[in-house]
Amino acid sequence: MNGKRIKAWLLGVCAALLCTSAWAQGKTIELEFPSWQFEEPGAADYWTAIIAAFEASHPGVKIKKQQIPFREYIDKMTVRFAGNNPPDIVHLPTRNYLAFASQGWLAPLDDDLAKTDVRQSYMKLNDEMLYDGKTYGVLMMGYGMMFFYNEKMLADAKVAVPKTSDQLLKAIAATTDASAGRFGWGAPTNQHPNVFVEISTWVTGEGASLFKEHAYNFTDPAVIKAVDDFRAAVKNAPKGTSSEQARQLFLDGKIAMLRDGPWVAAQIKKAPDATRPYLKMGLMPFAVSPGGTSNSLHMPAKLDAEKKKLVWEFIRMTTEPQWQVKFTQLTSSPAPRKTVMAAPEIAANPELAMVNKAAADAVNLFPQNIAVREDFNEFAKIFVEYGMKLIGSDRPTADIMKDMQADMTKRVPPK
Amino acid sequence: MPEVPRPAKRRTLARRERRFAYALLAPAVVAVAALIAYPMYLIFATSFREGKSLNFLALNKRPFGLGNYRDVLSDGATWHNVYVSVAYTIGSIVPAFVIGLATALLLNRVFPLRRWLRSLMLLPWAVPGVMVSIMFLWMFDASFGVVNYALRTLGLITTDIAWYTTESTALFAVIVPTIWKSYPFFTLTLLAAMQSIPVNLYEAAKVDGAGAWARFWQITWPGIRGPAVLALVLNGLWAFREFDIIYAATAGGPAQATETLGLRAYNEAFGFFYMGRASVVGVLMLAIAMLFVFVARKQLRKEFF
Repeated sequence: MNGKRIKAWLLGVCAALLCTSAWAQGKTIELEFPSWQFEEPGAADYWTAIIAAFEASHPGVKIKKQQIPFREYIDKMTVRFAGNNPPDIVHLPTRNYLAFASQGWLAPLDDDLAKTDVRQSYMKLNDEMLYDGKTYGVLMMGYGMMFFYNEKMLADAKVAVPKTSDQLLKAIAATTDASAGRFGWGAPTNQHPNVFVEISTWVTGEGASLFKEHAYNFTDPAVIKAVDDFRAAVKNAPKGTSSEQARQLFLDGKIAMLRDGPWVAAQIKKAPDATRPYLKMGLMPFAVSPGGTSNSLHMPAKLDAEKKKLVWEFIRMTTEPQWQVKFTQLTSSPAPRKTVMAAPEIAANPELAMVNKAAADAVNLFPQNIAVREDFNEFAKIFVEYGMKLIGSDRPTADIMKDMQADMTKRVPPK
Repeated sequence: MPEVPRPAKRRTLARRERRFAYALLAPAVVAVAALIAYPMYLIFATSFREGKSLNFLALNKRPFGLGNYRDVLSDGATWHNVYVSVAYTIGSIVPAFVIGLATALLLNRVFPLRRWLRSLMLLPWAVPGVMVSIMFLWMFDASFGVVNYALRTLGLITTDIAWYTTESTALFAVIVPTIWKSYPFFTLTLLAAMQSIPVNLYEAAKVDGAGAWARFWQITWPGIRGPAVLALVLNGLWAFREFDIIYAATAGGPAQATETLGLRAYNEAFGFFYMGRASVVGVLMLAIAMLFVFVARKQLRKEFF
């Protein structure tokens, strides 16, 4: 190859590099955002609206949504972080975030939060974002568990809307006719993370607690009584269903009563015409209102400066008063900003007022012990394994709870 | 008269031929080393790393020792996993073989729409495992599934059976879709072998007065035995490490009733983040698979080597 040819080749390569660089300058920045909520009516509408507004105010930035079923969500996120491939916008069930923060996978947001009014204006549940003296995220929602019922199915069975757990069990039995495909109660009855939520709701609702200071309290007589009630309820629930399937069966008029978060109210609005008029929401018929933090937004620790800035701007946008109001309107769920409930468009809505009351009275059903929170995934998996024994076997509750206490103490010791 | 090469020249030629042969073998050796030996090495190396680590990239910083082997092999759950794996493998492969043999014998006969039926019979093999699980989840659904409906209608049950969420029925409920998915492989293999048997053997046997049973044992079975053994070994190994059908249906539950060694390895690695323990389970699976092949080696050698 002679000198002229080599020069021509070099010039060509330089021109190609310049063109690529120029193209790169004008290219779209994509922020990856996985969530389990992109197909949930209400929540999906909120995310669509805020993402569109963010993209409109940030030309050249695109948020790429990725829907992942809730059952697989935590495992998938953990594998991504463990493999050093985290998403850009991190959306987590709040009960799980500490496991991520304790690994150093999430970025502290204290410096950015100091420039906002979040600390002063958010409900106290937002303190769960604090770990080891730093703030690792922003709460999206804290809630009280709600009671959903099919007015017609209760009337057909000639039972009133229950106000206590005993009345609830009687109503569940009265409205069940399994041979006709009608069930009194809807609950996750397959290997699903929400089996823990279901059992903990009964325990917390009946005034007991799964934890006692720095130890598990699974063998406490009050806990066993509440778990017995849970077992009596799920005997009248369709078997092998996930939370999502239970919700759908309720919307279709095949389940009379359901415990769930307030977001189901948004789904009722899209229920079939034949059932929608009969589907109602009320307060849980328990002595105590169980609840907790739901989900939160975070930033991965490993992110380039440009994306870090954009991700923070997106998180900050969700904390703004108008988007907090929009959140409550679209999802029928309480937003964490304290002033939202006083907003005229929210205060005038009795359903939202009830949701607000449940959230305000809620006793947290999730573990508060730091060691358990750091290892919540393993804790929940073990709990669900024993939960499946409670659902699918006739072994005495006390025996199963005793085995779980011993196993859990060994595998996830609380500190 | 041709020139006879001198000894030194012959040695050089032989050396060059040997080198050429090694050069030809080199790509295969490199491929085996990269695709089999290195991952194997990684599994063994990881199996000695103790403790829990969510950071896969820092596994080699974990303490080195035999603790994982001690924990896993002394854990009763491991032997329960071995039992579930063996029960699942035998429970799915034996019926799949019998159905595959029966359908191959049927499709080897001449009848209208035979070609169309052959294609239809092979369809389950092409369906992805996760889809198979979803189909059977619906059919075996405790409250709205067709299986319980049929059993109720026939008067065989009075209350619905929660097939996938009851410990005593869950293993059966994951074996059924596995049989459905794996029998076409036996059909295909055995049918191909049957078609290579000369028809005149059957004609001669008939003339000699041999009945259907005698014709099967004296002509068909010797003709298909080799492929049948190979198909059984392959399908046995596939079933032993099956993951997608079980994971999609039960994720190893309820209460570990369907947790095979493959599911246990997954749960240890990605549920509890004990990569070392997961690797020990992988090593155990490898040892059992090798034992299986060792037991079958005489038959395999007789048929193929």
